[in-house]
Amino acid sequence: MSNAQLEIQIIASLVAIACAIPGTFLVLRKMAMISDAISHSILPGIVIGFFITHNLNSPLLILLAALTGIITVVMVEYIQKTGLVKEDTAIGLVFPALFSIGVILIAKNANDVHLDIDAVLLGELAFAPFDRLIIGGTDVGPKSLWVIGSILLVTVVLLLTFYKELKLSTFDKSLAASLGFSPAIIHYGLMSVSSITTVGAFDAVGAILVVALMIAPAAAAYLLTTDLKKMLAMAIGFSVLSAIIGYWVAHWLDASIAGSITTVLGLVFLMIYLFAPSKGIIAVMYREKQQRTEVLLLTFLLHLKNHDELSERHVKHLNEHINWQKVRSKTVLDLAQKNNMITIENKIVSLTQKGHEFTTKAIDYIITNEDTQIEDMKDDFFLFRG
Amino acid sequence: MDLTEYIKLVFTDYTLRTITLGTAILGAVTGMLGSFAVLRKQSLLGDAISHAALPGIAIAFLITGAKDTNTLLLGALVSGLIGTFWIRGIITKTHLKSDTALGLILSVFFGFGMLLLTFIQKQPNANQAGLDKYLFGQAATLVEHDVWMMAIVTSICLIVMLTFWKEFKILLFDADYTKTLGFNTKTIDILITSFIVLAIVLGLQTVGVVLMSAMLLAPAAAARQWTNSLSVMVFLAAIFGALSGVFGTALSATQNNLSTGPIIVLVASVFVVFSFVFSPSRGLLFKQIRLIKNRRDLELHKTLAFMYHIAESHDDVSHPHTIKLLNNFQGYTKSTLQKLVDKQYVELNGNMWNLTKKGFETAANLYTKQTTDNE
Repeated sequence: MSNAQLEIQIIASLVAIACAIPGTFLVLRKMAMISDAISHSILPGIVIGFFITHNLNSPLLILLAALTGIITVVMVEYIQKTGLVKEDTAIGLVFPALFSIGVILIAKNANDVHLDIDAVLLGELAFAPFDRLIIGGTDVGPKSLWVIGSILLVTVVLLLTFYKELKLSTFDKSLAASLGFSPAIIHYGLMSVSSITTVGAFDAVGAILVVALMIAPAAAAYLLTTDLKKMLAMAIGFSVLSAIIGYWVAHWLDASIAGSITTVLGLVFLMIYLFAPSKGIIAVMYREKQQRTEVLLLTFLLHLKNHDELSERHVKHLNEHINWQKVRSKTVLDLAQKNNMITIENKIVSLTQKGHEFTTKAIDYIITNEDTQIEDMKDDFFLFRG
Repeated sequence: MDLTEYIKLVFTDYTLRTITLGTAILGAVTGMLGSFAVLRKQSLLGDAISHAALPGIAIAFLITGAKDTNTLLLGALVSGLIGTFWIRGIITKTHLKSDTALGLILSVFFGFGMLLLTFIQKQPNANQAGLDKYLFGQAATLVEHDVWMMAIVTSICLIVMLTFWKEFKILLFDADYTKTLGFNTKTIDILITSFIVLAIVLGLQTVGVVLMSAMLLAPAAAARQWTNSLSVMVFLAAIFGALSGVFGTALSATQNNLSTGPIIVLVASVFVVFSFVFSPSRGLLFKQIRLIKNRRDLELHKTLAFMYHIAESHDDVSHPHTIKLLNNFQGYTKSTLQKLVDKQYVELNGNMWNLTKKGFETAANLYTKQTTDNE
């Protein structure tokens, strides 16, 4: 591993961490799409900054771009407040317009300079090590390392200082307001950090990867935990992991590093989306199926409870009466038998003592409508434990 | 180039005619379908889908090795649909919210597409140049064949929309009711969404991935301000979209170095701003005017009510009082008094005023609203 490779991986990881922190809060505050809007609409800020300074590395660019990001947020909120359109439409109207202005400004005035739209949208991490910061004649490392390093440092300091306020205003805005933390200040603070992070990261990795790094790790972490601290830690973990794996995939395929990191992020999310223990898609589907069977079992037992006549309790009749398919009724019958709820003699089904108790209780709960009690009942009667 | 010359050129010049026609059709179809997206609160779906279409273009190219527009757009359609249904899966099956799902699919798919594009660019196949025109779109690459395809797809959209108009409409405004009526909401839903995806894919070549979402939203959002009826809205949105296409193309054709896509988007944004400000019933301007007028009416009513309470203590309604009596009360000025006089609620005689009978009755009914005539 060469020095340049190491530097690229360090920069990618720092960008990943710097994005994952504000990203977690954006996802929790249901404002994930704002990051997409900001990442596009800062373009005119960058272009205007460039026209003023004629220097792509001037800090004024970052400042103006971040300012444009804030303007985007303000505009979206203003349009939304007029009540003419919904929030998502407001976002969708603002950023393409600003982005278009940026593209036109570039096309009109900056054709001959190194500021093409592809670079802005995609970024090229591979070039980062060649742009060195030189202080007093000594090489102190790649410039993007310093830029993103300082942004990360500020983000972390802000996070540690305002953790309590952030947490409170994210989960209970009104409580935060009544306790005297201004949700507006926290909101715009978060927006400023996201905006500055986007600009800082954007130069190295491009607009789209910034969005992916902000949303994907946080979304994946949110499927695994509901604890804010754990979520932050996991999001950071996923993003750094994807950054490093992504770098090597790009190296192997000889393709865009940003694209490959994003792809790895997508795969990480896909894995968690499918296999997360309680919120993954497979777990959810299994639980839904189980619940459906539970409901069927309950219906079946209630039917038995209501009918004493032999004809109503014949196995065949149950098929017809409740209108179940053969397989389904067999599943339910087996389940009930396994749980000692019923006995079957000569194809006549009858409730056992336990079955009687269970249904009586179930009816009680249904009448009093205390849904949570049903969960306890399952434990009481060892349901599904065969 | 002046206007007549330009119009003449539109009819004679092949390229200009193709582009104008293409962008007009595109604007119309996106405006039409965008109305549904906006009303269904799926505004940002367009943004997500247009990004999610990119890997499809790259994969279609990798498989066929050719740069045929139809094949590439088919790839885009497939990957756009996969993205859409994954978004739906995330929203319905997990506790992640729609914005997270959209942002996630958008960025991840687009990133994957970029990975594939850069991978393709490193391949020794010389054919790959120009794939990235789908990123920003290049209206100039439109040929007659593309316009025909757009026209065909637009007519199919139109036919399907008219056939299922009732179903679309009812699903938009009351999904639960639709279900109880026995309609298969899932199918209608998938149908609408698929057409939205189709419209977006069509636009990729012209305005590109990044600006496609605006094409979908802006005409619809503008149209929404002028009407409360769905059919009028869809119609207006189609017109606005088509006009954005035509004007955008004209502007970019008459100026050097102006890419068509962004200009079309800006023209559409101008429509939006204009509608937001000047629409008679919802627009900000008239809303402000109404607000001021209401406030003035309120002041007037306050003065009238105050006078009423003074006049109440006298047997004769039109008993004159000095104006000084009103000085304790904040709500009146000379001009408001004059307005009351104009409405014949009050009579002024030098320094004295008295309520008229009409004024007394209006004031008596101000808060009970028994008369219809209490403006």
